Amino acid sequence: MNARSRKSWATQLGASLHLLYFAWAALFLLAGCRKNPQIAIAVVPRTCGDMLWEPEHGGAQKAAFETGARLYWNAPTREDDVDGQIALVERISSENFQGLVLAPDQSRALITPVRRAMQHGLSVVIVGSPLPVPPSDRLSYVLNDEEAGGRLAAQRLGTILHGRGSVAILGIDSDIAGIVLRARSLEQFLATHYPNIHILKMIGSFNLPHEQQVAAETFKANPDLDVVVTLTSTSTVGVVSALASMRPSHRISIIAFDPDSNLGFDSPNLDSVVIEDTRKMGADAVQLIAAKLHGATVPAVTLLEPVLVLRENVNSTQVQQLLSRDWRPEPIQRAWRVPQ
Amino acid sequence: MKTRERRWRGVLITATACLVVAALVSFLQYQRNPRRGLPYHDSFSAGKAEEWKAFGGTWELMDGAMRNDSDERGAKLLTGSGRWQNYSVEADVMLLGPGGDAGLVVRSSDEEEGVDAYTGYYAGLRNSDNSLVLGRAGHGWTDVETPFLSDRHTVQAYRWYHLKLLAYGCQLVAAAGLPAEEAVTTLAVKDVDCVLSGRAGLRSYAAGGVWRNVVVRPATLEEATVMLASGHPAKGPESEHQAPDTTTLGTFQAPQSYYRTQTTPSNPNAQPISSLKLSPIARQDKATVRGVVILTSPALFVQDSTGGILVKESTHQPVRVGDEVEATGIARAGDFSATLEDAAVHVLWGGTPMPALSVTASQAATGAFDATFIEVEGRLRHKEYGPGDTLIFDLDSGPQSFRAVMNRGRGDEQYSKVKLDSLLRVRGVSVVDAMYTQNLTPFTLLVRSTDDIVELAGPPWWSVGNLVAMAAAFLLLVLLANFVYHRVENWRLRAIVEEREHLAFEMHDTLAQGFAGIGFQLEAIRTGVPEEHSRMHQQIDLASDLVRHSHAEARRTVDMLRPQQLESEGLLSALTLGARRLVAAGSVAVISTSLGEVQPVPLRISDNLYRIGQEALANAVRHAHPATLNIILEYKKDSVRLLISDDGTGFIPRENLGGFGVLGMRKRAASISARLDISSKPGQGTQVSVTAPLPPRITFFSWPGLLSRFLREHLFNATTGDPPHPHPYRR
Repeated sequence: MNARSRKSWATQLGASLHLLYFAWAALFLLAGCRKNPQIAIAVVPRTCGDMLWEPEHGGAQKAAFETGARLYWNAPTREDDVDGQIALVERISSENFQGLVLAPDQSRALITPVRRAMQHGLSVVIVGSPLPVPPSDRLSYVLNDEEAGGRLAAQRLGTILHGRGSVAILGIDSDIAGIVLRARSLEQFLATHYPNIHILKMIGSFNLPHEQQVAAETFKANPDLDVVVTLTSTSTVGVVSALASMRPSHRISIIAFDPDSNLGFDSPNLDSVVIEDTRKMGADAVQLIAAKLHGATVPAVTLLEPVLVLRENVNSTQVQQLLSRDWRPEPIQRAWRVPQ
Repeated sequence: MKTRERRWRGVLITATACLVVAALVSFLQYQRNPRRGLPYHDSFSAGKAEEWKAFGGTWELMDGAMRNDSDERGAKLLTGSGRWQNYSVEADVMLLGPGGDAGLVVRSSDEEEGVDAYTGYYAGLRNSDNSLVLGRAGHGWTDVETPFLSDRHTVQAYRWYHLKLLAYGCQLVAAAGLPAEEAVTTLAVKDVDCVLSGRAGLRSYAAGGVWRNVVVRPATLEEATVMLASGHPAKGPESEHQAPDTTTLGTFQAPQSYYRTQTTPSNPNAQPISSLKLSPIARQDKATVRGVVILTSPALFVQDSTGGILVKESTHQPVRVGDEVEATGIARAGDFSATLEDAAVHVLWGGTPMPALSVTASQAATGAFDATFIEVEGRLRHKEYGPGDTLIFDLDSGPQSFRAVMNRGRGDEQYSKVKLDSLLRVRGVSVVDAMYTQNLTPFTLLVRSTDDIVELAGPPWWSVGNLVAMAAAFLLLVLLANFVYHRVENWRLRAIVEEREHLAFEMHDTLAQGFAGIGFQLEAIRTGVPEEHSRMHQQIDLASDLVRHSHAEARRTVDMLRPQQLESEGLLSALTLGARRLVAAGSVAVISTSLGEVQPVPLRISDNLYRIGQEALANAVRHAHPATLNIILEYKKDSVRLLISDDGTGFIPRENLGGFGVLGMRKRAASISARLDISSKPGQGTQVSVTAPLPPRITFFSWPGLLSRFLREHLFNATTGDPPHPHPYRR
């Protein structure tokens, strides 16, 4: 190869490299020129696949369709898997989401992950039970009105006890701030309006054997107990189980909060249930985030009143809608064809 | 010749490029082939499952089958390619408890841990309502179901069933039956907006399961039709009221609750587990505890909110991790935890495994978490195969060390992959019993499955091996760079030399010829001018002399520019030839001598020596009037020396000897790091000596020394040779 041909080759190579460089730069620029991306919202309940939180899935999905958002739904398989929920929130914070709807498994342990999510630019809505973090431009609350729930339970207590008797409040779990609020509201209302109803309180958790144990010990220590108010689904199951084992001499009524299994009032002890409207929580939370991202001003805190369900109204349309775990809004109604 | 070479080179490059593109396209097509890897058959019986990935659950190989020993809701194990489209997966399936389901997954993608945290289709047998269920997951669940076989048959735990799930187009067909019987229950759906491709897998919900003989095959429409025809068709309510071609909305089936009715009544006298630490040692008191199963192998451990306990059963009861059980036995207090001996265990509920408590190694080392399910981080220091087909990992965490032991099961792949000094997070039941710790560590973690060991970070990069590799790579890079540099230099020099040749030819063809022509014309004019015009004759003679001189100079320049002689005849021969040409038609003798073993001299060095030699010879011929010209070329091991000497008039050397082309000679000598010495005495001739270092020959034995010298010279600006002499001549 002589000097002239080498020079010519070098010139051609240089030209090719320049061309390649400009082509890459053009491609890179074009990649940025695309339509506005869809809003992505992550919804993380305390757990999923149960009667309490699948309605939230339905509400959130419906609102997502209406607002044109893309929804991601997932949760730990246990309500007491706080680390699992934290890991999920951290992963969501690092991915391309614009909003987070979170029902925290623990009211303090999720403070830092939620703050970090906001620092990553996500708009966050806490549903169900609050965190001790004040609302801000990136943080709103759509909560269950625990005070109203406590009041509903207390009023029902007053009715079935006719203003006199003893009640045990089980499942007070300080992990969930809302549970503590509803216990206080219940106790306060009883103290004010039904001072002759004696109250016994026990600490609870999402650990079923523990709840069974506590229920059994409570019944043994208080054989004259009239009513048990169970503040969590786990304590409800624990109490039902303990009653089935111990078969006390008189009937003890149960007023339950947030059942997560099919309600058939199969247990004769179950008197009534106070249910959160998680479907509306999910819908409102997604609507809030979409509105915020479009620059609208949204309320800092929204309280949704729970519903008292009795044997008389358990089959009503409103209650069935509340209890339904069919999370599929209209656009997702699967077109199945089942062959003959 | 050159044109043909260029053409062949172009053809070769084009052919190579085409081959590369074709290979790339073929590779991509192979990767994207929706049938790649099919048919597939599991290797569970051979103890291999590296190609499977778990999302939740505690999956292990046991007795030639894959087992999920936990009641986690939605535990999945997946394999295959995300591009698999139309295929069927079938397996033998066994449920490990009541109130849940177990089955097969097709066309799965976007998988993560969670209840319905994947996109795909699932078919399974559910024993709470004795049904075959088929549905679609997309981080939400939709399904249809049908009674299994008939009312005579029930879906029972601990019994084998054969399950097959086929996906073809948007048609999904599931079939289930007893292995030994022909009758099957079939269920099919057509999903309008279907998932088109994805991986295959195993899944269970709220009940553990065992799978064996997993086979994945490409599916055809005929196969789907045959499956449909062979089974009892679904008898869902919609299908009875719809025309065959009508698309219906699927009925929503609420997922089964994972809090099932308690199977046996519980003992109202159950105690907290921690209270058994204070059991009297003199008596054999019976105690009952209630808790969640946290480990089943190598021993049964149960934990409640107060702590954990080792349960030694009197008769083995099949339980799974996550089951809520009641155990009654003789309580024995230990140092840090209690043991329940001769225990009767019965399952109260199935449940999901409890999460691990995250503690530091120092905390666990105190024994405070004995028999408890914990999670600890540590750096892997040693790994080995242990007795009883176990894997043993030794870890350090700050001032503490601990051991993790697990059944080999699926662990071979992880065992080989995890590197020493990696940071691991290990979950397991902490035990302080010397039987497990061998008194080598304060505690040992009994790990349930490979999914309980997570690598948080690899070994630190700065290891001896990596540093050595980096040094070797750097060395190779330096040598390569040096090689390339010298090649490029060589090319550049050749280009210059060829350009000079081109100039030489141009000058020869134009200038030299022109001078010759002018000379002839002047001679012709002189002949034509009468003798009496002496002045004119003088002027013509002068002109002829000038032309002759210029012609000679031009020829000399052409000769200097022509490298052919140098390349074709060697340095000494070229100089000798050049000298003889200079002294042609004279009486000067030219003597050339070669000393030492001839070595290859790089072109750059030989070219500069040639120019220096030419200049020295020209100076000698022009100014010294010698009788003899001596040209000596001496080869040494690492240098070459050219000596041009004459016996002419000599001169008195001056310090700043700048004339006679000496400046050019110095520059040329400096460019090849050569040493130029010019010595002379009046009447005793002149010697011009130039010594140039030769580049070392790289051999297997010489390269370390050469590298050291190179680094010293170039990186640390040190010189190893003699410094250039301040005066280019010596007395």
